[in-house]
Amino acid sequence: MFLFQEALLDRIDFFVGGFSLYLAFFMAWIMQDERNSAVTTGFIAGFILDLSPTLEAPFGLWTLVLTGMSYILATNVRAALDSELSPVVMTAVTVFGSSIALILFLLFGTILGQDVGSGAYVTQEIIGNALWALLLSPIYIPVTIALYRGTLTARNR
Amino acid sequence: MANRGTNRTRLLWVSLLVTSLFLITLDLRGVSLISSIRNGTQSFLAPIQRVGSNFLSPISNLFEDITNLGRTKSKIDALRAENESLKSQLILNENAVGELEQLKGVLDLAGKARFKVVSARVISKGGTGTFGETIVLDSGTNAGIKRDMTVIAASGLVGVVKSTTATSAVVLLMSDPSFRIGVRVAGSQDMGILSGEGEGKFSLRMLSATGQIKTGDVLLSRGSSGDKPFVPGVPVGKVITVDNATGQLTKQGRVQGFVDLNALGVVSVVIGNIGGNPGDALVPQAPRPAPTVTIFVTPTPTAKE
Repeated sequence: MFLFQEALLDRIDFFVGGFSLYLAFFMAWIMQDERNSAVTTGFIAGFILDLSPTLEAPFGLWTLVLTGMSYILATNVRAALDSELSPVVMTAVTVFGSSIALILFLLFGTILGQDVGSGAYVTQEIIGNALWALLLSPIYIPVTIALYRGTLTARNR
Repeated sequence: MANRGTNRTRLLWVSLLVTSLFLITLDLRGVSLISSIRNGTQSFLAPIQRVGSNFLSPISNLFEDITNLGRTKSKIDALRAENESLKSQLILNENAVGELEQLKGVLDLAGKARFKVVSARVISKGGTGTFGETIVLDSGTNAGIKRDMTVIAASGLVGVVKSTTATSAVVLLMSDPSFRIGVRVAGSQDMGILSGEGEGKFSLRMLSATGQIKTGDVLLSRGSSGDKPFVPGVPVGKVITVDNATGQLTKQGRVQGFVDLNALGVVSVVIGNIGGNPGDALVPQAPRPAPTVTIFVTPTPTAKE
């Protein structure tokens, strides 16, 4: 997913902001995951995102954000929802989760002294990402569900 | 039992958070291992990005094309006339022609300034989640490209090389929020600092209280010691608005860059400056209007018969 994002998606000039399929995929995956493995998945996903050579932020920032979010999503948010996740709920959580992850990344980045650009630019990026995450959810949500189910053993199912 | 499971998860979560903070600390302290990891990733990604670039180049500007559809339609009639003459050029790939144009332009600029350059194709750019404005080039240290070298396009400055591998280089675009460059106003030579603000927007702050700017002023790079990171005299942008608010110590304004940073195909990295400071020689010339031929006809009286 990271390679797909870096090699293909980042080349596309989206009309408003951009789209991080990697983040959306991560959020949809975590929602289905069991608590312990969700936290580990969050750490690994953040570490991989930190490997991006075009990233200006300190190494470990995405790891921190996604590890933090994975726990909150897998415990608090998951507990507040029905056990059977409907695609609509998954889309809503994915869109809001991606936006909050971006906001947290910016917030921690600013605290660590990173230049984040003007308010208009940041808002456009976050709203653009949310918009594309919403519009493209009929494509990536079923794929994520199918992939996640594919990784489960017969006993887990 | 469930409580034990929750505690174990919480313990794991806290350990991983501490590990993340440890990684951040290592990076902020400048541990070279961390930057080596990112460079290693870039070496691994470069060939994949190159393939992705070739695959996506015809559709990467799809959304831009769609939004320009209305304006494009009005040009169709004019383009139809040109179509016949262009047919002969269709042997070449459309994309290659575009890149060739950009390459020609950038080499013209470099030649005028007597810069020694290495040209490279743009194979990727920084995406959402990085909040940075960067591009990736398909040439690196093997071609002589090093960190802190100036990157230019046909119309002027693009950015500066941020990191390199043997076969690729990451360029920080001038629109990145962390980008700062010393500039001077062509003609008056007043100096200022230009800052990127993301999405092709720039702000300018003059250095001295006496420094004056006006709409339309052309800004050139001031140059750095040893030409790193910036060679002097490269066109940077044009002042579009001047902030005349009272209470400011120095003049401020908004600037429009000369280069369209969203449409970069080929750029050049300045690896040497043979000619020294080109002064104002690279200031873009306004297009000259074509001369109009006016014919005066004076009727001569004919002899009466």
